[in-house]
Amino acid sequence: MAQSPITRAAQATPEPLARRIRGLSDRAIAWIFIAPSIFLLLAVNIFPLIWTIRLSFTDYRVNRPNRDIEWVGLQNYRRILTDSDIWQTMQATAHFLIWTIVLQVLIGFALAWLINSKFRSSNFWTTIIVLPMMLSPAVVGNFWTFLYQPQIGLFNHAIAFVTGADPASFSMIGDVALAPWAIVIADTWMWTPFVMLICLAGLRSIPESIYEAAECDRASKWRQFWTLTVPMVLPFLMLAVLFRGIENFKMFDLVVQLTGGGPGNTTELTSINLKREAFEKWRTGYASAYAVILFVTVFGLASIYVKALNRVKDR
Amino acid sequence: MAEIVLRNITRRYGELTALEKLDLTVPDGAFVVLLGPTGAGKTTTLRIVSGLEAPDLGEVFIGGQPMNGLPPAQRNVAMVFQQYSLYPHLTVRDNLSFPLKSPLSQTPRHAIAEKVVRVAETLQIAHKLDNKATELSGGEMQRVSIGRALVRNPSVYLMDEPLSSLDAKLRADLRIELKSIQADSGATLLYVTHDQTEAMTMASHIGVLDHGRLVQFGPPREIYADPVSLYAASRLGQPRINILPADLFGPAPSGAKFIGLRPEQICQGKGQDSLVARVERLGDQTRLHLKFRDHDIVTITDAHTALHAGDIVPIQPDAPFFFAADGARIRA
Repeated sequence: MAQSPITRAAQATPEPLARRIRGLSDRAIAWIFIAPSIFLLLAVNIFPLIWTIRLSFTDYRVNRPNRDIEWVGLQNYRRILTDSDIWQTMQATAHFLIWTIVLQVLIGFALAWLINSKFRSSNFWTTIIVLPMMLSPAVVGNFWTFLYQPQIGLFNHAIAFVTGADPASFSMIGDVALAPWAIVIADTWMWTPFVMLICLAGLRSIPESIYEAAECDRASKWRQFWTLTVPMVLPFLMLAVLFRGIENFKMFDLVVQLTGGGPGNTTELTSINLKREAFEKWRTGYASAYAVILFVTVFGLASIYVKALNRVKDR
Repeated sequence: MAEIVLRNITRRYGELTALEKLDLTVPDGAFVVLLGPTGAGKTTTLRIVSGLEAPDLGEVFIGGQPMNGLPPAQRNVAMVFQQYSLYPHLTVRDNLSFPLKSPLSQTPRHAIAEKVVRVAETLQIAHKLDNKATELSGGEMQRVSIGRALVRNPSVYLMDEPLSSLDAKLRADLRIELKSIQADSGATLLYVTHDQTEAMTMASHIGVLDHGRLVQFGPPREIYADPVSLYAASRLGQPRINILPADLFGPAPSGAKFIGLRPEQICQGKGQDSLVARVERLGDQTRLHLKFRDHDIVTITDAHTALHAGDIVPIQPDAPFFFAADGARIRA
């Protein structure tokens, strides 16, 4: 029987491989590919989250697995929110967060501005500036303890050189008033390059011709900076702040290496405090409630921030 | 408004010479078009007048004042860039009012708003004033960019191929609009293009640039009818001037290497026979592609011609141009 060209073309067209072998639909195939990731995500992210929320209503202690678990309702939450020590760690965290972000944004942007002016050897300096970021936080924490040494520390001697004070007269790590600044300085030293790189990307995304147009429109350098450069870099800058904010909210390694949370609990950030409650005091239920509170806080702040970020980008 | 004088301007980029001893005077209130292919030094000339770039040698005067070393802001020039260069994060309104907000322009707030609306209406973008610059089509962006120059009252306007990225219809509209805006305001305008239609239709004077040198300067008609060189002659005219060996039609003046024939310099109906290779009917005119002793010639004929490919047409030159081997015009 004579076949029309259309029929022949249709027969020559290969069926999707899946349907030929198993009779599976494309949708089913898609699910097979996604399933492992979804399973992994459920296992390591979603399940622990739900389990943590459940534990937060109990007095469970992971070092006494055989003890009966008592259901305590909201008691953990009530105790955390009325605990003045916890509010102290929250304050320490806020101090750390705010000052690291302020300093890193200011210095990072200034450095990016300098590097972007493309002087000779600017590439070399970019590499040098970025180096701290590549080190392990534990290493950075460790060698800043040396820099902060009252007798031999380079930092103390540098301050002494500038101010004329005796280098041994103050201890950045040992002093209750100075320790919060010690961790701010070390973190700023380490992570300013990251903010600089993001700002640099922002600055490089502004075409030179925009500035030429502004020159012809008789805008001063000052006005060019505030009406062109800053608004156009702002989305990048806000992204850097988001990254640094989330990172520093869970800051642990650097500070533990540097001060261990001391002196007293002046530099005990929430993550360090949480770790103590969970794995030194073994108050698992209590720590779970603590973790849930932190999670809600970060998630809430980040969502508000991302909304603002999107508004700036759409502007 | 003011006249622009360039004296002995030289600009080099490493080995490359962009401008070589350029002398150019743009009279007050003139619409001067710099014409030339890519790399002829047109844009460099504009950038040197604007102050975005400094010449290696030579002097720039605007309105009789020496401008060397002064930044663009102090030259009071307005420039339209080929790639628009709008401020992407600002609205059309803010883009247009940006130059007026300069302390140097001393425009009161209500006057700014008024001027912006007036310019937007002229350029037919009034309905887009509150759009962001990035939400516009290419034609609208370029109109905003032209508008940003027009809101001010600068000594000179500089325009760098402002119409090159627009479609044909919009280009034709804006050509007429620009010309009438210039004529109404009496502004001095220096305009760069490689489009001969723009040059012919808008210019009061054309400057032909060749590898950084000004080879001819004058009214468009004069450059068209009396080119100084083969190069200048091939800049203008559509279809392009036909360049053929000088002795193709008979004896040529001594030293002549080429004969240049514009369509109207080819007299049809008498002379020597040529073969019609193709007939292109454009509606208002018809182009004839002729084959004459192994040379291709393009000319124009009557729109309703009865000629067909394969026909024979006798042709002969009528007051042609002769050029020497180096391209210089040889006058009889």
